[in-house]
Amino acid sequence: MKLKTTAGLIGSILGATLLAATPAQAQNVKIGLLGGITGPIAAMAPPMLAASQLAVAHVNEQGGIGNGGKLEVVVGDCGCNPQNATDAATKAVNIDRVIGLVGPACSGAVLAAANSVAVPAGVLLITPSGTSPQITTINDKDLVFRTVPSDDYQGRALARTLKARGTSKVAVAFLNNDYGKGLAEAFKAEFESNGGTIAGYSGHEAGKASYRSDLAELAKAGADTLVIFDYGDGTGLVIMRQALENNFFKNFVGADGMKSDAVIRELGAENLTTFFASAPVGEASTSLESFGKAFAAAGQSPDAIFTTTSYDAAFLMALAIEKAGGDKTKLAESLRAVSSAPGEPIMVGEWAKAKQLIAEGKDIDYKGAAGDHEFDKNGDVPGTYAFFKVSGDTYESLGEMK
Amino acid sequence: MELIGLANYAIFMGILIGIYALLALGLNIQWGLTGLFNAGIAGFFAVGAYTSAILTSPHVVGRVGGFDLPIVVGWAGAIVFAGLIAWPIGKVCLRFRSDYLAIATIGVAEIIRLVIKSEDWLTGSSRGITAIPRPFGELDYVASQLAYLGLVIAAVAVVYFLVERQLKSPWGRMMRAIRDNEAAAAAMGKRIEARRLQAFMFGAAVMGLAGALFVHFNRSITPEAIDPMIATFLIWIMLILGGSGNNRGAILGAIVIWVVWSVSEMLTDRLPTDVALQAKYIRIFVVGLTLQLVLRFRPEGILPEERTRRTAR
Repeated sequence: MKLKTTAGLIGSILGATLLAATPAQAQNVKIGLLGGITGPIAAMAPPMLAASQLAVAHVNEQGGIGNGGKLEVVVGDCGCNPQNATDAATKAVNIDRVIGLVGPACSGAVLAAANSVAVPAGVLLITPSGTSPQITTINDKDLVFRTVPSDDYQGRALARTLKARGTSKVAVAFLNNDYGKGLAEAFKAEFESNGGTIAGYSGHEAGKASYRSDLAELAKAGADTLVIFDYGDGTGLVIMRQALENNFFKNFVGADGMKSDAVIRELGAENLTTFFASAPVGEASTSLESFGKAFAAAGQSPDAIFTTTSYDAAFLMALAIEKAGGDKTKLAESLRAVSSAPGEPIMVGEWAKAKQLIAEGKDIDYKGAAGDHEFDKNGDVPGTYAFFKVSGDTYESLGEMK
Repeated sequence: MELIGLANYAIFMGILIGIYALLALGLNIQWGLTGLFNAGIAGFFAVGAYTSAILTSPHVVGRVGGFDLPIVVGWAGAIVFAGLIAWPIGKVCLRFRSDYLAIATIGVAEIIRLVIKSEDWLTGSSRGITAIPRPFGELDYVASQLAYLGLVIAAVAVVYFLVERQLKSPWGRMMRAIRDNEAAAAAMGKRIEARRLQAFMFGAAVMGLAGALFVHFNRSITPEAIDPMIATFLIWIMLILGGSGNNRGAILGAIVIWVVWSVSEMLTDRLPTDVALQAKYIRIFVVGLTLQLVLRFRPEGILPEERTRRTAR
């Protein structure tokens, strides 16, 4: 008990020094970025955070928030589990007094942080990478949004595309987490209802040294196409390498997680002529291009997974704050206003233009790097996907998936 | 405003510390009191969490349960079921000693975790269970958290009181005798196997309660919450650091680890962003370092076990 009070004391001293250190400036606004910095997606977290911070930099370079205020960022670690995510979110909301949260990164963390922190506290939450369909069902008082589509959409679109390209028998290997499993289930349902055959279907755990026995089992039924729902800078890469080395499959198809530079870098483009991947793209492709340029200029790879959605989540948060005039209670409503048609289109990086239009009271419609972000009533985005092949040391789009 | 925020954050920390203190108390019954090296805490935590979740959540198509029962029933179910599932596990594993038991229980916890991750019909697999009710959940943010903290403190107090009573009773002395000298205890006519199984089940039941408290606080549960790092080894660190064999030590360990973990982030966040990002990893390092220092300079923990001198004489 004694220790607890000491801890409280340390806390209040910290809070007090923080207060003293920041004298009254033009109203700065704080948002929290909750990345999966430690834990299972640690490799994906730094580019995602960099993308969100790029959006913040765009905002601050082009006039900031309101009347000369800056958008400030508090970075928290959701650890990809509910314990750390609620801790980081509670800290951001109560200690740092953020008015919006970008993140957490993993679905389980989003569910916990939304249910026990964001919704009760009335804080807007936009996740750039929580893909579980469960997030749709949170009783969220319209406070939980995501810039990444639910897995259902992509899995189904990929199934239809493969079928249309003449593949009718596939084996499916998926990472046994909410991402891999969600995609696999949607894919399987759609592929089978379109008359395709799933000749092998199995989930695997991450981080094993060998997946050869899993692959042998999958290849047994004679499919020559392997669909992998995994991450290309993790287990997915190992599986693909071992499938290629041992000649288990001829063709490989992945979703956005597999569309990673690591796959080309490690396996070589010459070995990947039969590898295809789907990924969400923005309808207004100029947005994606300008994001790619700006992000590359910041020394990052724009192809890293969830970077476009991370940028959009932070940029949308900023637009909503600007529109709401910093009023926490109007954030959700404002988010819908700035993101949905009709309105003057705003592309990636066009903060000054957006700010001016908002000041003039005109309606705007943000068209982001990852899509147009027309939120439905649950705060989900439908998502637009393209099918990619490997070309040189990067991916080339073969056109949109229906 | 700032003070309310700090207070609210402290309330949240209190809830999490309380839940982890329960886990540490459960482990203390098994390890501190009886000498059972249970490295499968996450398994019992998970059983409790999912039992209560299934009993109290509304119905969902394609998953068993959705009984929508009162929360009290969920908690009681979690305690009973976690205790019961410890019985067959204990029957099989408790024949092993020390390190072998640890390996066996890690295995069991992994089996439980994989079952939870794979069995759609039972646990919703990797998507987990949502829409779990929280007692006092309809109150305001602060009031709701405060009420929940009250529940958690009550739970910890009751468990602490009961375990203390047990520790000081003849049962407790017998358990320590079994721990310290099994052959002698057996020679005194004590039924070693049965007693060890008893302690294993008691501990598991307490861990189950912790799982239930955790699930209703977050209103959701996914397999990410039962990762061995955060649901097994962290608790071992708490108990060793606080002092195994001492219930107050178990609770103190939970407090120290969460404060080190969480408050250190508030300090490191004052650093420039790049450094602050790396510092998040340092938090893990600091927890490990704390454990090393305690083991080196105070192996019995901050609050060592109280030996009743009278009986020693």
